[in-house]
Amino acid sequence: MSGELTRPLAELRSADAGQFGGKSSTLGELIAAGIPVPPGFALSCEAFRLFVREAGLQGAIDSAMKRAAAGDVDNVNAASHSIAEEMRSAPVPDAVRDQIASHYSEFDGAPMAVRSSALGEDSQEATFAGQQETYLWIRGAEHICDAVRDCWISLYSPPAISYRARLGDAAEEPAMGVTVQLMVDASRSGVMFTCNPVSGDPSMVAINASWGLGLAVVGGEVTPDDYLVSKVTRELVRESISPKEVEYVPDPGGRGAVRTQVPDERRHMACLDEKMLGELVDVGKRVERYFDARQDIEWAIARDSDEIFVVQSRPVTGLAKPKAEDKPTSAMSLLMSTFGAEKKQ
Amino acid sequence: MATSTPIAGAFPSPYEIETPPGCEGWEEMYPYYALFDEDRREADEKRFWFWNSMHFPVPMPAFDVQCIDSPYQAVGAWQNRVFAVPPAMGIDYRIINGYVYISGNPVTDPEKIAERVEFFQRRAGYYYENWADLYEKWKDKVRGLIDEITNLRVPELPEYEPDEVMHEEGRNTAFIDVLDSYQRCLRLGDMMWQRHFEFLLLGYGTYSTFSDLCKANLPDIPEQHIAQMVAGIDVLLFRPDAELRRLARRAIDDGVDGAFVEGRTPEEIEAELSQSDAGKAWLEDLEQTKDPWFNMATGDGLYHYYRSWLDEPAIPYASLIGHINALNAGEKIDRPTEEIVAERDRLATEYRELLPDEIKQPFDELLALSRMVFPYVEEHKFFCDYWFLTRWWNKLREFGELLARNDFLEDAEDIFQLGRHEVMSAFDELVLCWATGGAPRGPSFWPPIVARRKELLAKLGDWTPPPAVGIAPETVTDPMTIMLWGVTTQRVQEWARQQDPAATELVGAPASPGTAEGPARVVKTVDQIADVREGEILVCSITSPAWAPIFSKIKAAVTDIGGVMSHAAIVCREYGMPAVVGTGRATSLIRTGQMIRVDGTAGTVSILDGAAD
Repeated sequence: MSGELTRPLAELRSADAGQFGGKSSTLGELIAAGIPVPPGFALSCEAFRLFVREAGLQGAIDSAMKRAAAGDVDNVNAASHSIAEEMRSAPVPDAVRDQIASHYSEFDGAPMAVRSSALGEDSQEATFAGQQETYLWIRGAEHICDAVRDCWISLYSPPAISYRARLGDAAEEPAMGVTVQLMVDASRSGVMFTCNPVSGDPSMVAINASWGLGLAVVGGEVTPDDYLVSKVTRELVRESISPKEVEYVPDPGGRGAVRTQVPDERRHMACLDEKMLGELVDVGKRVERYFDARQDIEWAIARDSDEIFVVQSRPVTGLAKPKAEDKPTSAMSLLMSTFGAEKKQ
Repeated sequence: MATSTPIAGAFPSPYEIETPPGCEGWEEMYPYYALFDEDRREADEKRFWFWNSMHFPVPMPAFDVQCIDSPYQAVGAWQNRVFAVPPAMGIDYRIINGYVYISGNPVTDPEKIAERVEFFQRRAGYYYENWADLYEKWKDKVRGLIDEITNLRVPELPEYEPDEVMHEEGRNTAFIDVLDSYQRCLRLGDMMWQRHFEFLLLGYGTYSTFSDLCKANLPDIPEQHIAQMVAGIDVLLFRPDAELRRLARRAIDDGVDGAFVEGRTPEEIEAELSQSDAGKAWLEDLEQTKDPWFNMATGDGLYHYYRSWLDEPAIPYASLIGHINALNAGEKIDRPTEEIVAERDRLATEYRELLPDEIKQPFDELLALSRMVFPYVEEHKFFCDYWFLTRWWNKLREFGELLARNDFLEDAEDIFQLGRHEVMSAFDELVLCWATGGAPRGPSFWPPIVARRKELLAKLGDWTPPPAVGIAPETVTDPMTIMLWGVTTQRVQEWARQQDPAATELVGAPASPGTAEGPARVVKTVDQIADVREGEILVCSITSPAWAPIFSKIKAAVTDIGGVMSHAAIVCREYGMPAVVGTGRATSLIRTGQMIRVDGTAGTVSILDGAAD
């Protein structure tokens, strides 16, 4: 049913990635795997298409894209700007709006995170096009609709347009899904790789963490604490604690997140303890095992319960391989080389 | 960054080292070939010599030089002349101010290396294929040497030879017997060292190959996990302490534990025990346990003053008291062997799963080979360094008594202040004068030499040797230096950096994870072990498993030299306490009482009280 606009996250599977985007479908899989994931719902790319259709935006998009195809920066910026303006003044289709309201009613007015869920997530396009929009602490169906529309607009950001212009005819008509997920009021958040991305060691989990909501780490606004933990024993192998100057916290007004200075006493403190590190490793291992691939996982630790939530996971790409030289790999020839006794050809 | 530290000129020339005040003439304690001399200066000055503080942390008494000569004869014979390890011959040594510096002899000629490859492959292959069988035979041979040194007779010099000299075929007069017996004693020592090194290169090499394979594919794997995957479970070395734990439990079960009061001497405890039947039964059990399990040395055995538990029962008794107190306090004192087995197998399984498929087979094979050689790696210490060597030193004490009875020495123990050839010379004169009835020169000749040397050793003990002398290589390539001493390029660079006297952080190998802070207790000689207090951090050159009693007191351990296979590392992992090994000069940089922080995960030791002097 190509017309499906929304679905609860828990009902999505990886086969739905084509319709709902990688992020939403992955979260559905994680929920199925029993990984703690905040509940929520997803918008399909059909919702985006319906928006374009109902608002009659296609003509405006096409003519702006034509201008951008000429390629210079001013053209691209102007095209991006005019599409954004058109989109911003267009209403979210009633059907979409109703379904969002209906799903949201189950959350009792709780704050939500709204994120883009790109089709073919982790493809080059997603990376280039910056389809990683995130809006935190959104309350109320209306505001969710606005955030959803902002995600859609990001499809036509200047870099996204440039990227597609470079692809020329090979570029497909863009579309995206959106993930709407219950907000975790995170005391700490960050990213972990289920390997050491630098050395390629698959027996390690590399964890970057900082105070507050996840924006600071993902956005590169702080130098996070850097931990390397053994996947096999959960021992901390290396750590580097950085001064964490800023953090994102919920706006006291109840809507959105604000950037604040981290109080002195927490700034130089390691933001994760051994117990948290061990639990993160366990979660990372479970996700990795479920997908049978090294994962790049965004996580958050709930302020009230210290419970870990996974808010996003994707396979690690472009992983450095341990620099195994062209060494002989039989045990005996390795032994001989220890003693400098390999036979020269 | 470590790698950009220039290390040329970081270490002094061996010819620039000054003699500490009052130690003039120290050279006369040692063989002529053991010194840096002008004739070999051009070559020796360009070489890299590092202080072998792993085996020789304190100045060498003259007799103990046999524990340099003999092992290096033996290791060179196997490495260079039997296995013909292609790029490395044996190890040269020189003594500076009483401390032993060593340097490997490389093979550089490619043709020679190729020639040696043939030898090595064939001979190493033979050992690997027949390891179990050869190792069983090895144990028999070493037990044979232990029996012989135990039973070796130190002859008396009688007033009159007995009639048997006339009647018995092949019976010698006493002067021959004395000379023979002393020479046999020396020779048995050489023979033990020969056995000691027979399997050592292959044993350590196998482990280090496994370790390299792990690190190439799992670059961040902690060293201790590699060791844990290989480590034996029923290791002979843990047996003596296991026996003490058993005896402790029995003392409680039989209701005789009241005799074990802290502060009592072994004699006092035994006196109380012998007043009851249960106590007597316990003492009988102890007596049976002593052979062989009390043949543990109080240190790593290369100095004459490392005695065995048999000689110094206060050490096992201290352990017994500790175990009994722990048991009575409801603590568990048993090695959790089942947990250790489960964890070792879990680590191996999980790491294997993480490896690329093509590495799994060599991983399995090398792990199996490492586990095959590991009993030797652990057990040779018990057989050779502890059991044999403590008996050998005791036999030499008997020869010392013979010399002392004839006034050549003031005390039997003084024999260790003479070189083994000087002792031979003393015996030559002694038996000569016994035969001729002439007046010996020895009684006025040797005692002043002994007295001067004791004074020298005490003064030299206060001198801090640099970790290395000569010209450091840009990279350390000698496989033996790396394998046996853990002296890698990185380690040499760290030593170079630490030449900075203001250093407050030492870097070593992370040997047992975790962190601990506490007051340091620097232990340079075995008799200082008794000073160790609860909650201190042990700082020593190298430990031995015979120090087990103090490991229940300390919070962490730091050593000068040693790798993750060293005993400090193994024991600390067993006790779950942090350890950093191979720091180069912890014992000279850290002072007893200073607050230090040991990070056994990162391999660093920080002095918290500011720079040491």
